[in-house]
Amino acid sequence: MENRETRIISGKGQYIDDLEFHDMAYLAFVGSPHAHAKILGYDVRKALETPGVLTVITGKEIVELTNPLPVQADLSAPGWTWRLAKVYALAVDKVRWYGEPVAAVIAEDEHTAIKAAELVEIQYEPLPVVTDMTEAMKPGAPLLYDDWEDNKQVHLKFDFGDVDAAFKEADHVLKVSYREGRVSAFPLEARGFIASYDKNMESLTMWGTFQTPFMARHNIAETLGLPEVKVKVIAVDIGGAFGNKIHTWKENVVALGSKLIGRPVKWVELQREWFATGPHQRDVVWDGEIAFKNDGTLLGVKATVIHDLGVESTNKGIAATSIFPACSAVANAYHWKGMHIEGLGIVTNKSFYCAYRGYGKDKGVKFIEHVLDQVAKELHMTPEAVRFKNFIQPDEFPYKQINNYTYDSGDYPATMNKALEMADVDSWREKQKELREQEKYIGIGVAFTIEPAGVAIRNCQMGGITEARVKIAYDGTVEVHSDRTEIGQGADRSHAIIVSDILGCNIEDVMVAPVTSDWIGQGPLSSRGAVYPASAVAKAAKMLREKVLTYSSVFLEDERENIEIHDGMIYSINDRQKRLTYKELAQRAYFFPGPRGLPKEILKKHDHLLDVTTTWYSDVTAETGASYTTFCSSADIAVVEVDTETGITQVLKYVHVHDAGKITDKQIVDGQIHGGIVQGIGEALSEELVYSENGKLLSTSHADYLMPTAVDAPDILVGHLETPSPFTELGTKGMGEAPIIGSKAVILSALEDALSPFNVRVNESPATREKVRKWVLGAKK
Amino acid sequence: MKAPIQLTVNQKEYALEVEPSAMLLEVLRDQLKLKSVHRGCLEGECGVCTVLLNSEPVNSCLILAVQADGAKIITLEGLLKHGELHPLMKSFVENLGFQCGYCTSGFLMTAYSLLNNSKKPTEEEIRKGIEGNLCRCTGYVNIVKSIQAAAEEKDSGNWW
Amino acid sequence: MKNFIGSRVLPDLVYHHPRDMREALGLLNEIAGECKIISGCTDLIPAIRRGAWSFDDGLNVVDIKGMKELTSIKKDGDTICIGAATRLSEIVHSPVIREHTPVLADAVNEMASLQVRNSATIGGNICTASPAADTAPPLLVLDAQAKVKSFDKEELVPLNQFFVGPGETVLGSKDILTEIQFPILRPDEKTYRIKLGRRNAFTLSVISVATWVKVKDGVFDSVRIALGAVAPIPMRAKNAEEYLTGKEATAQVIDKGAKVVEGEVKPISDVRANAEYRKDMAYILTKRALMACVN
Repeated sequence: MENRETRIISGKGQYIDDLEFHDMAYLAFVGSPHAHAKILGYDVRKALETPGVLTVITGKEIVELTNPLPVQADLSAPGWTWRLAKVYALAVDKVRWYGEPVAAVIAEDEHTAIKAAELVEIQYEPLPVVTDMTEAMKPGAPLLYDDWEDNKQVHLKFDFGDVDAAFKEADHVLKVSYREGRVSAFPLEARGFIASYDKNMESLTMWGTFQTPFMARHNIAETLGLPEVKVKVIAVDIGGAFGNKIHTWKENVVALGSKLIGRPVKWVELQREWFATGPHQRDVVWDGEIAFKNDGTLLGVKATVIHDLGVESTNKGIAATSIFPACSAVANAYHWKGMHIEGLGIVTNKSFYCAYRGYGKDKGVKFIEHVLDQVAKELHMTPEAVRFKNFIQPDEFPYKQINNYTYDSGDYPATMNKALEMADVDSWREKQKELREQEKYIGIGVAFTIEPAGVAIRNCQMGGITEARVKIAYDGTVEVHSDRTEIGQGADRSHAIIVSDILGCNIEDVMVAPVTSDWIGQGPLSSRGAVYPASAVAKAAKMLREKVLTYSSVFLEDERENIEIHDGMIYSINDRQKRLTYKELAQRAYFFPGPRGLPKEILKKHDHLLDVTTTWYSDVTAETGASYTTFCSSADIAVVEVDTETGITQVLKYVHVHDAGKITDKQIVDGQIHGGIVQGIGEALSEELVYSENGKLLSTSHADYLMPTAVDAPDILVGHLETPSPFTELGTKGMGEAPIIGSKAVILSALEDALSPFNVRVNESPATREKVRKWVLGAKK
Repeated sequence: MKAPIQLTVNQKEYALEVEPSAMLLEVLRDQLKLKSVHRGCLEGECGVCTVLLNSEPVNSCLILAVQADGAKIITLEGLLKHGELHPLMKSFVENLGFQCGYCTSGFLMTAYSLLNNSKKPTEEEIRKGIEGNLCRCTGYVNIVKSIQAAAEEKDSGNWW
Repeated sequence: MKNFIGSRVLPDLVYHHPRDMREALGLLNEIAGECKIISGCTDLIPAIRRGAWSFDDGLNVVDIKGMKELTSIKKDGDTICIGAATRLSEIVHSPVIREHTPVLADAVNEMASLQVRNSATIGGNICTASPAADTAPPLLVLDAQAKVKSFDKEELVPLNQFFVGPGETVLGSKDILTEIQFPILRPDEKTYRIKLGRRNAFTLSVISVATWVKVKDGVFDSVRIALGAVAPIPMRAKNAEEYLTGKEATAQVIDKGAKVVEGEVKPISDVRANAEYRKDMAYILTKRALMACVN
């Protein structure tokens, strides 16, 4: 059978833009040109009168015919602020960000829909705009939600260990601050959906860029007021996601459209709309203090991180929930005595927050890695020496970290040592000295990242649900189902490898089915693919293998211990003539009664089919309530050269050493590493979503939102270590986010090292050329 | 008022009627059903819609179909030989030069032209050659590797 | 205010494809309604998509892409003539340009992307007249002239009088830019150019600089400095040129001359860069370019 790789490369991809259904209509959204305004009224006559237009949906119809978007997470707790607003699929009464969808036009073709969208007239009463989170927190700031007393959506507080004792012991206390600009993933394909509502069956089927079909089904059904069992969601080929395609929102309007006109409706988002209404991320400000001893022992941290969440999101709590791992991530790979971390989420008139590779787990790491560089400078130690002094040691695992996570496995010193060796840091530091004398500036950066994976958070739709099925067909081919949507990360290939390894069949005979809402699960978010779905698939395959061995021993008339399986052949080790192909096994196991079929002892157990459906859950989470199960670790080393006259930063060398537990496919893992690293470099040096003071998004296309091109991206050296996780079925750990976290941290760290003769603290990103030049000029004075 | 145009696409000749405002991208996707040519930004900023027009890579979103009258176009589908993968395609599969695949058809057209026009490009020449194709999944490392490996294949005569 | 629409669609077009200049000029003369001359469309289409330019249905477009009279690169005695519809990629690879004025080929090679250069034309870049037009600084230091034709006349306009304001040129609605001409470089004339963007490739210029220098006996005999993206139009830094002429071609003099440029440019602050940075870079990059010419 053709696999996904050869299919895609021959141009046979089936992305949502490629699907055409009979009698399909097209939808175009009308967005708000104002960042904050009351909606006074709609006039859709001109749009409706345009030939080819079938209907126009506004906030009025949405309120009448749909429910507010369902809550997806509720982390309210005593002492914490947790607010959610009532949010519908289109703006109702008020618009709160530039581009917010206020209406939708459905027409016979896309051109007509877009042209008619320009004719929809909406009367607005502009309101004062607030685009800065500090301004939004001031008394008297424009209020986004009239039933809230201020713009603070979320305030979480964490006390880990004994922070007062930690600070009492300190030889040094350093004040630190750090900020990250607003960015997001913006995969090359934006969102797209086709909805088909069947009036007779009263059922809805949707196809599209669904990263999490099962969760989407639940949320769409609730929004549209349909029984969940009447809704089916199908993921098609998806052009990248990185977490940006998790939340369900605009597709509810597409579904309603199909219900109203009784025809399939398609909507494909192009990149320009995606920038303005895509989920955004990062955009945080940290302020705090770190306490440590003269010998570099870390003691404690007090810090507050404020997130600019944009508007209260259509993902109803998932965005705000990211603040929790953001705070927990500060502990990273080190021993601590105590911490007090507060995380705030402020609403402003910008597009909403959701998930982007890292989600929240990234933020605390980037902050603390920057802080440790300051500690190193204060104590005249190398940055890696501070890390080595405080690493959790290989013999301490499983390690109950101060943030209540249980780190499963790792060898942090070995990972860091390997990276230092591969990068030849000592030679670069020599070179740095020589070049400084010529007024040329290179810098060496070091960063270490722990990536938690396998998310299961209380009171949240991301609760650890997963389901898998492995089934052998009559002709011996094998079918694999799970909730791990293929978004380019190699899910299909990974599951095919896992199943063929366990069953001993040929990988070409394994078909990993496209993911639909038929399978319970959260999808491949938060790097959980190698934790939950992979474990469930492995477990199902192992259970199936048991049946295969049992039946084979019956058919081959030999003891179970003597049966082996290789390359699709099941045979007795004592007599290789006694053998079955998977096809022969299946045929004998499926059609009976008769002497060639299964014996009655097996049949009477009522569990004889070569088909296993199962689930998996993390024992650690069950036992301790831990939100994550596995913990990847990685070391990043980068060398950059800075042209202090122009501010241009070039990456001269990049090394990444990664421990993702047991690796299923090295090529896939390396691909994830390369991609994440280049995204992190983009965030560090050039990517930023910029809003004007009156809330208009200025970075509305690739011309202004600058992702790295092939000329910007460096070559990347990757090394591996494997410390298997004791907590998953195969020892695999979820991976994919550490690269984007460590890379951003290390580039900024290297930049700061390069600029150390100028005494510049690089605690802000993106460190654009203009900013770097400004810092150099500021230091010279 | 539709205008008649002639296009040779993947070595087949077509006589088509197109709206003057139709992009070459739309005509290839919607009329000729060549779905490998993807829609991205529609502004020539991402390279996802790259096709070869008279052997040169262009953004098909920036060319009016009427302007392509008489041109020779190659899309990804045109690299297959009776369903057999082109050595460049095989190289991208073997070296994992793609992940989600959305930018891939554009990259292959640019790479195909690059390799047809130069003997064995250096890494720097390759990266400059693909500057107009954005990728978010791969970080470009394996794309460069795939092109380098394909250059070896071409050098040994395995090419068409 | 106009609605926020993701990506707008093109208006219905009335397409004209003249076979030669006579037909083209005739069309311009006859067409009553709004009319746009098109070739590469690499500025037109993005501007329509983002809503910066909008046209009613029935827009007339006169396509001069590939017109033979407008796509040649010739050396005519000591003058190089580039047809306005010559694609940027042809300029990059032209043996004539590479031999006689490589500064232009190098500048063009860093514009946009390979795909865009295979469609975009030099005339289009000049007529769109962005203050950041990357062909302008090298052409300005080459003292280029623009040949403008209309139905009943033809004239040569010095390029430094061609640009009137951001997006505005001296072209009237019935005019077509047909050719760009400039003298070849003599052996004692040195040129250099630098582009600064926000990333290494495929990016709009934050500032671009081109210099042309003739040094005689260690003294600046004549100097030309042109910059893009630092004024309403691509400009020549006349004050700096005057300052440098007759002075010794040393690093200190160049530094001072570059400082004059910093005072002369009038950049704006926009999403790409602040004015202070552009002024600062005008100084830094002019200095580098002049040093490169002199060494």
